[in-house]
Amino acid sequence: MKHARFYAIGFTILVLFDTLVQLSFKYAGDHAFPPEANWAWIVRVFGHPWIYVAVIGYVGNFFTWMTLLKHAPIGPAFAVTHLEVVSVMLFSAWLFNEPLTWPRVLGATVIVAGIICLAFAETGAHPEHDAPTEAKGALGVAAGD
Amino acid sequence: MTPLVVVLWLLNVTLDTVGQLSFKAAAGDPEAGDGMARWKYMLARPWIWVGVVSYVAEFLVWIAFLSLVDLSEGVLLGSINIVVVMIAGRILFRERLTPLRVTGILLVTAGVAIVGVAGGG
Repeated sequence: MKHARFYAIGFTILVLFDTLVQLSFKYAGDHAFPPEANWAWIVRVFGHPWIYVAVIGYVGNFFTWMTLLKHAPIGPAFAVTHLEVVSVMLFSAWLFNEPLTWPRVLGATVIVAGIICLAFAETGAHPEHDAPTEAKGALGVAAGD
Repeated sequence: MTPLVVVLWLLNVTLDTVGQLSFKAAAGDPEAGDGMARWKYMLARPWIWVGVVSYVAEFLVWIAFLSLVDLSEGVLLGSINIVVVMIAGRILFRERLTPLRVTGILLVTAGVAIVGVAGGG
């Protein structure tokens, strides 16, 4: 029971950090709009506080992840880190008034089903300390992210 | 999706894959040793740096990408990274591809396709 609570709290914090990072990226990109392949755009990106919120969220995310992975099995951990697609969708609807269209809801459902399959596939498939390559995306997305 | 969005999406998945595989190559080198010696060994070789450069570039590409699409759509489309990195990892590091993994890969790909096509892809 003690472990269950530890995981529940830990994974919730992880998803919240992931969500914060993506929301901050969106805000940073919007402030720097339009995107250009030049130095001026990079200066605009780093000229607003949101990019730093993203970095802080990313660091928090990293330490939460490393703490959890010390004990949590890789399969469920893998799944939870990618379930942020759902939380990001809900926050986007709320903060950016993005429509929750049927293709998005259906697409998200199918993606989550796939992630759950992959999570079960990872469980027990790897010895400890040998996480699969894709266990953690670069930007807390799918990685990509 | 405009051509620029598609280019940024492809660039993002490429950089993510190169970055993750590079870190895996750096971390998985059996001759690296332990502790500080391991870090010295890794930092003296190119893979960890290829990973760092890829991640920095990916970071910027992802922000540009997200400024052109809805965030909810962006993160869903970005889920393709899981699939591509997994397949590349299986090929390069001979990780196993079980029926359950193939099912997961197909489902994630199908979900991304649904979102992408509906988004005007």
